[in-house]
Amino acid sequence: MPMGHTTTAEAGSGGLAATEHRLANGLRVVLSEDHLTPVAAVCLWYDVGSRHEVKGRTGLAHLFEHLMFQGSAQVKGNGHFELVQGAGGSLNGTTSFERTNYFETMPAHQLELALWLEADRMGSLLAALDEESMENQRDVVKNERRQRYDNVPYGTAFEKLTALSYPEGHPYHHTPIGSMADLDAATLEDARRFFRTYYAPNNAVLSVVGDIDPEQTLAWIEKYFGSIPSHDGKPAPRDGSLPDVIGEQKREVVVEEVPARALMAAYRLPHDGTRACDAADLALTILGGGESSRLYNRLVRRDRTAVAAGFGLLRLAGAPSMGWLDVKTSGDVEVPVIEAAIDEELARFAEEGPTPEEMERAQAQLEREWLDRLGTVAGRADELCRYAVLFGDPQLALTAVQRVLEVTPEEVQEVAKARLRPDNRAVLVYEPKSPEAAPDADVPEDPEQEATVEAGRDETENEETAK
Amino acid sequence: MTELATMEFHPQPRPGEAKPWAFPAPERTALDNGLTVLRCHRPGQQVVAVEVLLDAPLDAEPAGLDGVATIMARAFSEGTDQHSAEEFAAELERAGATLDAHADHPGVRISLEVPASRLAKGLGLLADALRAPAFAPSEVERLVRNRLDEIPHELANPSRRAAKELSKELFPAASRMSRPRQGTEETVEKIDAAAVRAFYDRHVRPATATLVVVGDLTGIDLDALLGDTLGAWTGTPGEPRPVPPVTADDTGRVVIVDRPGAVQTQLLIGRVGPDRHDRVWPAQVLGTYCLGGTLTSRLDRVLREEKGYTYGVRSFGQVLRSAPDGTGASMLAISGSVDTPNTGPALEDLWKVLRTVAAEGLTDAERDVAVQNLVGVAPLKYETAAAVASTLADQVEQHLPDDFQATLYRQLAATGTVEATAAVVNAFPVDRLVTVLVGDASRIKAPVEALGIGEVTVVPAE
Repeated sequence: MPMGHTTTAEAGSGGLAATEHRLANGLRVVLSEDHLTPVAAVCLWYDVGSRHEVKGRTGLAHLFEHLMFQGSAQVKGNGHFELVQGAGGSLNGTTSFERTNYFETMPAHQLELALWLEADRMGSLLAALDEESMENQRDVVKNERRQRYDNVPYGTAFEKLTALSYPEGHPYHHTPIGSMADLDAATLEDARRFFRTYYAPNNAVLSVVGDIDPEQTLAWIEKYFGSIPSHDGKPAPRDGSLPDVIGEQKREVVVEEVPARALMAAYRLPHDGTRACDAADLALTILGGGESSRLYNRLVRRDRTAVAAGFGLLRLAGAPSMGWLDVKTSGDVEVPVIEAAIDEELARFAEEGPTPEEMERAQAQLEREWLDRLGTVAGRADELCRYAVLFGDPQLALTAVQRVLEVTPEEVQEVAKARLRPDNRAVLVYEPKSPEAAPDADVPEDPEQEATVEAGRDETENEETAK
Repeated sequence: MTELATMEFHPQPRPGEAKPWAFPAPERTALDNGLTVLRCHRPGQQVVAVEVLLDAPLDAEPAGLDGVATIMARAFSEGTDQHSAEEFAAELERAGATLDAHADHPGVRISLEVPASRLAKGLGLLADALRAPAFAPSEVERLVRNRLDEIPHELANPSRRAAKELSKELFPAASRMSRPRQGTEETVEKIDAAAVRAFYDRHVRPATATLVVVGDLTGIDLDALLGDTLGAWTGTPGEPRPVPPVTADDTGRVVIVDRPGAVQTQLLIGRVGPDRHDRVWPAQVLGTYCLGGTLTSRLDRVLREEKGYTYGVRSFGQVLRSAPDGTGASMLAISGSVDTPNTGPALEDLWKVLRTVAAEGLTDAERDVAVQNLVGVAPLKYETAAAVASTLADQVEQHLPDDFQATLYRQLAATGTVEATAAVVNAFPVDRLVTVLVGDASRIKAPVEALGIGEVTVVPAE
């Protein structure tokens, strides 16, 4: 068995430590001991997400993730779910732009079962994958899409903002759920090819965290995963790099049956893993991260023009990150009123920078979020995988909070000045479609008429597949 | 095409020896002002969870002022005698804390989460909020307007809309439970600062409140901290309010909330049943899990994994309100969404699943898996301080002993297949279920009528 190297707990890591190992087939392994509760988390990140999908096959990575729960050589049907839950464990899998993750949290004495199950599907999924599960899970995923996106007000906002922010042909132009048409078009052979291309031990990181014996755990991992052959056929993902700023304001107005007007925007921000991204996180927290944020105070408390106002950060490593602004208007307030206030606040912030009190508050908030994240074995396992897959070093997970606390007010101001500008955003405006809705004349000027056509096409697709 | 490579297969491993774990037992004390305190030390949990229960239930709201408990709960974090609303929010965030409050049938719950290193600061702010809330007229007016703005968003959300309709159908119009927890447009717009202050004066006092503190308390002198903070909260002595009985009409019927053009139908099928005081509760938990607790349960095995009609359908039992004498009730329900064209077939299958369970019973194998899951996940489920605090607070709110959850795990393990079957069949009798469907009536009404699961009426969405 290859030897791993051990690191001791670093200052600022809350006493947590992780060791790293690599099997001969290329599977990277991260282990972290914590004996406070008799539980163990297993997390497996495959370095494949929706950014690897090709035109006409959006949603395939996520549909495939569903198929990973449909059995493998030694696991019948829904056996993966049944065995984990029957052992008192919990489990799931998720797909994002940049990775697909699978995880089980087990009572500590059932850890070996989770490793056996993950190895079985990594090595032998195709022995069980058939048309029946493909057809069934296609329907399930289409219903997931309807339930989470198509059948709720503003449900497709994120999809629209993403499409506006990342240009046509860019690997992040479409979201992981995919389009109904592409979900319909995916074939069993597509799924098989996807597995052969991306589901290899040398394209994955396995972390095990909790009440474990590291030596025994590593021996089990070698036993179950060690004989799975590596495979090098993975094509490099398409380049996701873009200029630092968009250079113009993209805009789309959607007239839909929504309960209130809304103004949303996506700002192009620095890549995850950079100090500038941590600075952007602090800037967004100060501007829109809670009920003492500048935008909340301005729009909800003082102007009383909004019912909710906030900023969120989508950290991305393979493309610029996205700062997502979401404001729902109050009563009959119109979007230009809100937009002017936001521009004023952002410009003021870029001009003045954060106050010391704002820095302290934002850092305290982000620190608590990190404590929450690392407070469960499953959260820790996921973060270790994240830093291993996206940045090549799991240890970075244990010091992430320190890096956020080291960011200076000047860095926060700098990123705000450079990035939180009207010419670096995609704006999405919702106007309610109902008899009382504002007439066309009240819709703000829209230089990007093409974008509205795109929204119409989405709706048409959904209607067709619903029949 | 790559050749399918082979791996070395090993038989399924056997579990090791389970390590003992028990639901934590809290220590119970009281402050001089009568505030009951439950504390629980959880090593390693750096974010401390604090829950406060106030005996200010929704049925105590004055007639015509539904929502005043909600506005009061929200107003707790909008300023005190020490801080303005903006300052209070800023101070909370400076402590790395979050403070959430909501009003429900049993009372008002406030949840504070704060890093252990800043617990003193967090408890100080919480104490200020409870002891000396500002309830400034301008802030209350803003909260009222904000609440009015939220209502259309809730009505547009299919699952929220379904829940509202089911409550209206099940409970008599005079019952507070028949109406939205956070009030309606007509009632909320009547709420002002004076109404909030009056509700506070009548129902909020330390003598009828309970505080739960859970987390890594190493090196923290909690008694001193509490004495300095919540110990300063004063109030007149008070008796717990009597709990009104819960009645419900579960005559089998269907209500369609019409949303023309909806691509899916939201289902909410429910009735009222026993709460945790009833001896049937462990068997009902077990049976309900077997019916629809997960994607390998009866409902999803057919509706999702065989037919693909849904992303997932779940059955559950949720306590509405309990009473010390055991006369409380819970909502027993099945919920999920199915695509519009398959609404009729999905409901037909759902009823078939219920009839099959009633006719043939659950199997020993599914009972065993359910017990192993429900009992086995406990150490995972209660890893965080927040999860432990929330369950301890639920127990107090529902007039249950502090060891209820620990006892429940033993009872689940001792519950047999026959009992679980009887409990779930009694919980979901096919002819006593009220079905709410939020969907496109023009497309789903006829197929649903054809099923014969009860009279079908259609109501508009707004």
